Amino acid sequence: MAATSLIWLLDLARFMFPNVLVEPPTKFKIGPASDYPLGGVSTKWLAARGVWIVHTDQYKGRNLIYALASVCTHLGCTPNWLEGEQKYKCPCHGSGFYINGVNFEGPAPRPLERLGIKLASDGQLEVDKSVKFQEEMGQWEDSNSFVDGALA
Amino acid sequence: MNSLSLITSCLTLGSTDPHPNVTPSVLYGLGWLYLILFAMNAVWTWKSYHRDCHFRLPEFLGGMGMPNAAVWAMYSIALLLVSVTHLTCASVPEALRWFVMPDFAKSAIDFVVADARRYFAVTTFGFIGMLLLRNWLAKPSVGWVLLNLSLLFLCVSLTDWDFRQIVGKPDNVPIVAMLFIVGFFTWLFFYRANENDRRSALGKGPIEAENNEKVLTWPDLVYTEMICMIAVTALLILWGIALQAPLEEPASAVKTPNPSKAPWYFLGLQEMLVYYDPWLAGVVFPSVILGGMMAIPYIDFNKLGNGYYTFNERKFAITTFMFGFLPLWVGMIILGTFLRGPNWNVFGIYEFWDVHKLEALNNVNLSEYFWYGIGQPLPMAPAGADFWTQAPYILLRELVGFVAIGVYLGVLPMVMAMTVFKKFFLRMGFLRFMVFSNLVLMMAALPLKMVLRWAVNLKYFIAIPEWFFNV
Amino acid sequence: MSVGDYIRDSQIWKSVFRHPAPYDRRNRVVVMLTNFFLHLHPVSIKQQGIALSYTWCMGGITFFLFLVETITGVLLMFYYRPTLEWAFNDILALRDVTTLGIMREIHRWGAHAMVITVWLHMYRVFLTGSYKPPREFNWVVGVILLKLTLLLSFTGYLLPWDQLAIWAITVGSNMARATPVLGHEGPGFQFLNLGGYDLITNASDARFLLLGSRFVGEETLNRFYILHCVAIPLAAAGLIAIHFWRVRKDGGISQPL
Repeated sequence: MAATSLIWLLDLARFMFPNVLVEPPTKFKIGPASDYPLGGVSTKWLAARGVWIVHTDQYKGRNLIYALASVCTHLGCTPNWLEGEQKYKCPCHGSGFYINGVNFEGPAPRPLERLGIKLASDGQLEVDKSVKFQEEMGQWEDSNSFVDGALA
Repeated sequence: MNSLSLITSCLTLGSTDPHPNVTPSVLYGLGWLYLILFAMNAVWTWKSYHRDCHFRLPEFLGGMGMPNAAVWAMYSIALLLVSVTHLTCASVPEALRWFVMPDFAKSAIDFVVADARRYFAVTTFGFIGMLLLRNWLAKPSVGWVLLNLSLLFLCVSLTDWDFRQIVGKPDNVPIVAMLFIVGFFTWLFFYRANENDRRSALGKGPIEAENNEKVLTWPDLVYTEMICMIAVTALLILWGIALQAPLEEPASAVKTPNPSKAPWYFLGLQEMLVYYDPWLAGVVFPSVILGGMMAIPYIDFNKLGNGYYTFNERKFAITTFMFGFLPLWVGMIILGTFLRGPNWNVFGIYEFWDVHKLEALNNVNLSEYFWYGIGQPLPMAPAGADFWTQAPYILLRELVGFVAIGVYLGVLPMVMAMTVFKKFFLRMGFLRFMVFSNLVLMMAALPLKMVLRWAVNLKYFIAIPEWFFNV
Repeated sequence: MSVGDYIRDSQIWKSVFRHPAPYDRRNRVVVMLTNFFLHLHPVSIKQQGIALSYTWCMGGITFFLFLVETITGVLLMFYYRPTLEWAFNDILALRDVTTLGIMREIHRWGAHAMVITVWLHMYRVFLTGSYKPPREFNWVVGVILLKLTLLLSFTGYLLPWDQLAIWAITVGSNMARATPVLGHEGPGFQFLNLGGYDLITNASDARFLLLGSRFVGEETLNRFYILHCVAIPLAAAGLIAIHFWRVRKDGGISQPL
């Protein structure tokens, strides 16, 4: 009796998980690296795709271009890039991140996440939203999480 | 009314200030508010005349006896004059400059509320003061004075543009109403509880036990219910006509409004998120609150105070519950609704919501305090180590945090059982006492972390972002 | 014979109301026993137990607001389609085009009022110690009803599909990401792991169950619509029945022992 009820309950839970999702493709091209000069945060893809393209040498002194997911690591609001103060500031609970994505104020527990980025065969940069790289796990060393800033 | 709105629009067009504090329409509206206040006090004066005693004027004024109602009568007449002045001189704001909140008062109030620390201190000490002064506060005339003061404060504050923006938002109007309603019922509780406590001191039973004959449900209860239903329906219809339900721009998944707030009844939880991580503030604590509330009847062993109002017979239970409901729940809702602005900064009620207001928020973990304090670097696993190699390093790094939490939730209950809560422990038994003490400690964990955040910028007791485990 | 008397004397009237109007004591007792809607109440009741200064009438008002929300909600459903294409426009039309579109205002303000009255009901029940034996279980039912009231309001918040809605729900539902063990950003999710693959990802965790999607989208709108209009109201109605039943069975409205 108890076992049967449990099976029914689990089946019910499984039923609530859809098998097919209708969501936009995760890979997209963002143009040549030269569109992204050093020291800039591009908000060009923010509205459509939810990423910032960052070109900075402020993370461990290396000149890199990478894509940051515009999802606050606290509760998933979209932070605003404040050009004047050179930081991402989340409107929900005031978390702040440096230009390189590392958190420094407010309740966010960890840095913003990088997304996959690579140089496609046609010379354009391509972002892959299906993979993510977390700084605190040491994944920002992964070569799929950035491209060389000298390309720009 | 038409000519008046014409004047209003002319003045608004002509004025250069985009955020005018006083406009003719605001003053005109205030005139009606003062008129309502006058009507309330006129009724009160009449009741006071029939009920209240006399006081003696000082000698230099003749030393005659005067009914208390005379004071109320003079106050009511003053309100009537203020109201008439507003209604007739609304188009000449300069004539009404005496009824505007002065700037020094605004900055003084903003100084207190525009800071989570001072706000929390004010609500907590206000709560303690309310309990200590309950006998005095629960007198009808004191309650009436407090109601008048709060309404006058509201009226005068409405002359401020920023105050109007935040209080006048359609979704915030029920919260303003709720403050008055919660205040009224808390007052009513103390009024009735004090009466029963006085009777109990004289050896008499509670007032609820007197004149308690059975009556027929029809008509005594059924008619009350019907009147309530009609009143609620009328109120909802009026409310619906007066205030349009908010509808903002169509949803956009990429443009987060600033500030971005949860529905108002969850703002207490959102406030908790500033101090604790989502897994605690968003999942564990709400479950504990719900579970803890369900556990109340099984924890409370006090047989007294069942079915009547009393404070003295249930001091601990009522103080704890009220502390949770008033400063921690309702108080945090006020903070979240009226004081949290862009970037989740705290703003005064008369302060402009400046998106660029800066507030430093650099916080430090307990482990960092500990290891840097003893002059050591944080223990760190060699680069590229797998989970099982990393784990001991991480646990060592956060050891002091684990010890602190262990002491707080494991050892402290036993200390409490042997000291302050000895009587509770003896009557409750082990299991019940552990549940009770852990619930109390978890409730205290919020104010505790708030104080630590403000005092020493503490971020986490235990900080393991690698495992999403931050406390 | 007046028209009123004629009607009251007819077979139809008598088939509906099985006794004369409650003018005298006997019929005032009978009406409480034979009328379906009134039989929630006992025939007679303690005088102090129904004093407004004692009960604050908050539980009753909460129930009445539940009925108001049900009726206005059903009416709103006639003009509302829970799809990305129509949700916002339908609400806009309710505001600007529909005759008596004020239903939406009543529905929303009624929801706010219901949250407040349900809190005050709980406040009153606590302050009078009415959760004490023999009413412990009914307090538990009441706490669940309080939670359901908040959930009803929360799920309804998404339906207008405006900025207020989507971000309140995003913030609220993102907490479910952090559910211990069952959320993909919660502590301990690594424990549910099979041969090196995480079982808990952003497409299989507690939040995904709630949203039916990886972010707040059309599936979420549909889920919240069903929760708001069908699932939670049904659960609440059942529990309200139990709550009322237990008030009677646990000794009626609380009074000094």
